[in-house]
Amino acid sequence: MEYSSEVRRRFPAPARAGSIPPDAGTTVTAAAEDQSLRFWVRFQVELEGPRIGRVRFRAFGCPHGLAAADLVAAELEGKPVDAMTAIDLEDLASRIGLPREKHGKLLRIEDALAECHRQAVARKDE
Amino acid sequence: MTNGVIYLDYAATSPVDPAVIEAMTACLGPDGAFANAASPHAAGAAAKAVIEVARARVGALVGAAGDRLVFTAGATEANNLALKGMFPAGPRAGNEASAGHLVTSAIEHRSVLDTAAALEAAGVAVTRVGCDANGIVSPARIASAITPGTRLVSVMLVNNEIGSLQDIEAIAAVCRDAGVPLHVDAAQGAGKVPLDIEGWGIDLCSLTAHKLNGPKGIGALYVRPGLSLSPLIHGGEAALGVRAGTLPTHQIVGFGKAFEIAAARNEAAGLARLRDRLWEGLAGIEDVRRQGDPARSAPHILSVSFPGVEGESLRLALADIAVSAGSACTSNEPEPSHVLRSLGLSDALAESSLRFGVGRFTTGAEIDTAAERVGTEVSRLRAVARGAPDWCRA
Repeated sequence: MEYSSEVRRRFPAPARAGSIPPDAGTTVTAAAEDQSLRFWVRFQVELEGPRIGRVRFRAFGCPHGLAAADLVAAELEGKPVDAMTAIDLEDLASRIGLPREKHGKLLRIEDALAECHRQAVARKDE
Repeated sequence: MTNGVIYLDYAATSPVDPAVIEAMTACLGPDGAFANAASPHAAGAAAKAVIEVARARVGALVGAAGDRLVFTAGATEANNLALKGMFPAGPRAGNEASAGHLVTSAIEHRSVLDTAAALEAAGVAVTRVGCDANGIVSPARIASAITPGTRLVSVMLVNNEIGSLQDIEAIAAVCRDAGVPLHVDAAQGAGKVPLDIEGWGIDLCSLTAHKLNGPKGIGALYVRPGLSLSPLIHGGEAALGVRAGTLPTHQIVGFGKAFEIAAARNEAAGLARLRDRLWEGLAGIEDVRRQGDPARSAPHILSVSFPGVEGESLRLALADIAVSAGSACTSNEPEPSHVLRSLGLSDALAESSLRFGVGRFTTGAEIDTAAERVGTEVSRLRAVARGAPDWCRA
């Protein structure tokens, strides 16, 4: 299988793979999975007021899935919290070079981040 | 190393030995044995002579008379010829049983299973005997599957995905007692494990050159004297009446030279040491599983699963090591290997499996580097997936 330069760059060393230390500030965590696509992803998002701090992920899946999670995590850092619900999946798929049959994995990334956003909003309202 | 990659996929194919290349090249030019071996002139006779020498060399390694070998384009064609040749016609009108019955195993190479499926679609009854958890097909189960309508039993000598070694001698005895011909796909095993075609009473046997440091594109089907096969390829004079076509002198010479070298070098013990060294290096990885029984395996194949590691990611992570997931013929397919499924592996385990194949040019240093690289990448991918649900490991 051919892989895009984005996958080849991120997959060997996904910079955002891992966990946010326990002594960090407010964090929200959510996971999503699709067994039929053999993909699981969990995001941990640090909240710094109205903005996103560090974003880390864990994932089980193909190189495209891991690279997509890493790319999204990197680009969310520093953005407003609402950016978690504004992922352009088509653009993400194009940049990752994602085969059409794997697009469902991006929906799981979207689901996990949507839940993180829900938790973030709930925290803000507390 | 080949092109910066450690090659550990000898079960898929092997590099051609330099001595084989030299022997083949000598046939090709104007001063070589380039003529058509069927031609009646002296040049043709010269080509025929080198072919006969090669034929004898192939036969000598596998316990068969050279003149009973039908040269084919490889083991896939040989398998097709064996099966289709024994079941040439569909059922007679109103008599479904007249198409005959084939017994084979569920873990055969796709060239046997797909041919069996094609025969089944044409009306032949097919029984696919299962294997145990180590990929061993029981001779007793073969015996139980044979019916009065069975025309052929087909079982491979060595499984191409996990290396399991079948007791062909016992299966041949079962077939002899039942009066049913036995076909053996020996593509993976010839030259690596004992094989005595005529001594064991094998009726048809598929062979290939490229897994034994010979060229691709040449194989053979051994046909027992007196056994009648319908041809697949027509067109003038046919070898043993079943396979027409100009004999590729250089390919056959390479085939013979490869088998001669294999007989002289007797590499099985050395291959087993390399395989075992690789396993020792991998066994240190947490939660690694080996498929098959080491005591009943070919010396050159090692199949290992890595629970909790996604297969495509593992293969890309190990892009500097040439290995297969499943068989070479199936590794581009998204479906888990039919062989690993037959062993009882879950889809997750099957997809996390790698097949390693060692060979003549594999070095101990390559083995050690490969084991270290596999350990590093398995640990890395498992760390990325830490916290993943149980289905990722099942």
